Amino acid sequence: METYIYSSMVRELMRFRRIFAWLLVALAGFGMAALYRSLIANGSPTEAYVLLSDTFAFRILPLAAAILSTAVVAQEVEQKTIVYLLTRPIPRWKLILFRTLGATTITFAITAITLLVLAVSTTGLSSAILLRDLIAAAVGAAAYVSLFVFVSLLINKSMIVCIIFAFVWESTAPVIPGDLYRLTITGYLNGISQHPSFGTGNQNLMDALTKVLGTHEVAAWISYLSMGILIAACLAISCAWFSRFEYMAREDA
Amino acid sequence: MNGAGKTTMIRLLTGQIRETTGNVRVFGEEPFANPNVYRRLGYCPEIDNFYEHQTGRQFVYGMARLSGYQRSEATQRTESVLQHVGMAERASKKIAGYSKGMRQRIKLAQAMLHDPEVIILDEPLNGLDPVGRREFIDVLKAFAAQGKTIIVSSHILFEVEQMTQSILLLNRGRLLATGDLSVIRSLIEKYPHRIRIDTPEPRAVAQRLVGLPYVLNVQFDVRGKSVEFQTKQPNDFYDAIPALILDDQLLIESVSSPDNNLESIFRYLVAS
Repeated sequence: METYIYSSMVRELMRFRRIFAWLLVALAGFGMAALYRSLIANGSPTEAYVLLSDTFAFRILPLAAAILSTAVVAQEVEQKTIVYLLTRPIPRWKLILFRTLGATTITFAITAITLLVLAVSTTGLSSAILLRDLIAAAVGAAAYVSLFVFVSLLINKSMIVCIIFAFVWESTAPVIPGDLYRLTITGYLNGISQHPSFGTGNQNLMDALTKVLGTHEVAAWISYLSMGILIAACLAISCAWFSRFEYMAREDA
Repeated sequence: MNGAGKTTMIRLLTGQIRETTGNVRVFGEEPFANPNVYRRLGYCPEIDNFYEHQTGRQFVYGMARLSGYQRSEATQRTESVLQHVGMAERASKKIAGYSKGMRQRIKLAQAMLHDPEVIILDEPLNGLDPVGRREFIDVLKAFAAQGKTIIVSSHILFEVEQMTQSILLLNRGRLLATGDLSVIRSLIEKYPHRIRIDTPEPRAVAQRLVGLPYVLNVQFDVRGKSVEFQTKQPNDFYDAIPALILDDQLLIESVSSPDNNLESIFRYLVAS
């Protein structure tokens, strides 16, 4: 039964209509790499990959998580099909746990494809960097999806809140002076991916901004630990919450 | 009646919502989010929402898997229940293209597939045409004939009468009456029974019967084709009717009681 809950979620998210747009976004990595090469002729492949993965692949990750995580519960409530799931002999915690795992898998797959596209299009990349990025993507997918699923259990129209979190908070908080970066997921994913730094002076706007705002580096083990705690806490609370409270079709509730 | 509390009661019974007061027990257990209850209970909701991109067969199979059956058993149960509800031939089409009747049948199939002891149906006949209603009721009766319990919620009392004799009347969340139709009918004995006689000679019939001591009121149909009597002794009144035909040679086309239906009983009970 658990396998079916997981696989049906994966199948649902892999429906052509849903996955097609994401594949297009992932394949846009080729275009991004070509654009980078045309703008910065003397950049190294690693530099190109790191910049593109930070600004493109790891931006797609929370966006995909925000959208796909709504399929776990919120969309079922919205479409009123939740009643079919909740009146089957399945403990609710299993339902939410394995559906969350399904959404995490697809979120990771989309990010991983994007990273691979970037790696292929910026030839000469060290496989160690790619491997660390894939691990960061897996951890990030689990962290974002479990967090967003929990948010979707709490509030209506959760996708808007999640997208704001993904784009506004996750982009700005890590570069704000102080300890706010500790309240982001991106900060810890950077700690896992351990991208090399390429800033060598005021060569471009990014370097200049980095110098002004400062950078925060989190040790890898702290990042793994923090993300592990976040994922476990969100999943545990979501399972308990979903088992405890009523989830009805909203217009009838 | 809309707003009576039927759907709320059904949601309580099927464990979708928690009670705010009192206790709800199904098979001796609290139903909310309780898999033990769902193993023995089938639920056919009122909502007409589905995974529209799926076929009926995929939907029912998915529900079978979610009920804990392995692939082969789920497939076998899916085919069997689709056959039972008369959808085996049409279940390969996408649900999005289904008629209302087909959607109702698929909903019923998912409720029956795990062979529950009790099936709860919320407004099952909504939107069905007369033929569809008849067929749907036949499917339910066949299921009931297997010794299963079927609980139907409906605000169309005429339909309830056709499906069952055991009735529970709710109004504004309160239980008005429970029992079979005759028991419920006996609750309104203090009200006069209405008996209608269809005849081409309503005045002659009225003249003949109005003198009987238990006739309380007479009312003529505006079309002049029938006459309606009110009496507190309906059995005596019925006994007097054959004499009309035999002694007075009056033509009687039909005799009926507008009160012998649930709708009227409900009206009386609410008024009282």
